[in-house]
Amino acid sequence: MISSDVIRGYNDTLILYMLLEGESYGYEISKNIRQLTEEKYVMKETTLYSAFTRLEKNGYIESFYLDENSLGKRRTYYRITPPGLDYYREKCEEWKVTQEVVNLFIREL
Amino acid sequence: MVYLENMFVSLPKTPEVEHLKQELLSGMEDKYLELKREGKSENEAIGIVISEFGNIEELTAELGIQPVSPEETVPVLTEEEIYAYTTAKRNAGFWIGLGVLLCASGVAFLIFMDALFENYAISAANRSVETGAVMGLIGMFVLIAIAVSMFIYSGMKLERFNYMEKGFQLPYTLKMSIQHSGESFALTYRIAIITGVCLCILSPVFIFAASSINDNYASYGVSAFMVMAGVGVFLFVYYGNIQGAYTNLLEKHQLTVEKKQEVKVVRAVEAIVWPLATAIFLFTGFVYQRWDINWAIFPITGILSGSFSNVYHIMKSKNPS
Repeated sequence: MISSDVIRGYNDTLILYMLLEGESYGYEISKNIRQLTEEKYVMKETTLYSAFTRLEKNGYIESFYLDENSLGKRRTYYRITPPGLDYYREKCEEWKVTQEVVNLFIREL
Repeated sequence: MVYLENMFVSLPKTPEVEHLKQELLSGMEDKYLELKREGKSENEAIGIVISEFGNIEELTAELGIQPVSPEETVPVLTEEEIYAYTTAKRNAGFWIGLGVLLCASGVAFLIFMDALFENYAISAANRSVETGAVMGLIGMFVLIAIAVSMFIYSGMKLERFNYMEKGFQLPYTLKMSIQHSGESFALTYRIAIITGVCLCILSPVFIFAASSINDNYASYGVSAFMVMAGVGVFLFVYYGNIQGAYTNLLEKHQLTVEKKQEVKVVRAVEAIVWPLATAIFLFTGFVYQRWDINWAIFPITGILSGSFSNVYHIMKSKNPS
């Protein structure tokens, strides 16, 4: 399991990626991240919800309520916005460059 | 989800924070239920949920909330502390109530001795009348001295809890349990207050009864009246203190500065009015020998100071300046 320090700058990107496929809610997103990374990265609750707050404030995602039919429970769903999509592309570019740069300093010993 | 409550206790209660708390709770519930479905035990599931919670600083940083500085944090009360507080309040109520009763008994004793020697020593030397008064005075001061030491003792016992005046926080579960025991105490409290009121209302009966037999007995009636009213007041003070402990615990953190000031003014006025009433009572008694009617000053003072505090309260709330 990787430390949350290393990935900090990309938590938002991870969440935006999960929303590319369609709207989702908090637990589902964190569960999918866990499965996708084969449990190598588990996003903490506080990380997840502070990211939602930040992304929504910046207008990258928007939230809406949806009633869950089976349980009668109201959930907050999130969907990505066009600025969010732009931001996601930006972050992808940034990561490519970052990866290239860091890779310059990585070698097998 | 006591855990979450405790994590949020140091945060300001803004709508934003409340909303976030609900979101977190919902997410944690989802996770918990799923873990249970996977066959985890309750304890395991809770353990995992808590270990994956993260830290609250991350949220506060995101929300731009300044971490509450140490001197501004209000203490979160523990169960032991609350138990100690209610016990101290109950004891203080008992000792203060007993002290009031002793004060009343002291005055009653003085009147009683005064009347006793006056009635039975008319034929004898004048000296014995004085002896009665002196004995009565000594008895009264001894009783009052004991009472005052009780006041001081219980005041010191309660001093430890002065910090609660500045405000405090209660964990949700504790608040519920206090509310519960407060509700079950309410009936006892009501009965005690009604009994106390009845005692106070009925106590002047002694005076009328005694004076209808013989005018000279009126003073004995006043003595009995004082003791009976003292018992009534004891009930008020004792049960009032226990009730006060519950009220303080459940409502204190909503007490505004204005309200505190109001209480202060009312207390200051009472601190002047009551000793004044006592002084007038003793003066008219000794100088004019009017024990038969001057007791009325106490109920009158009681009604006046009560209406003062009400009027003050209404005036204050009318023009909030």
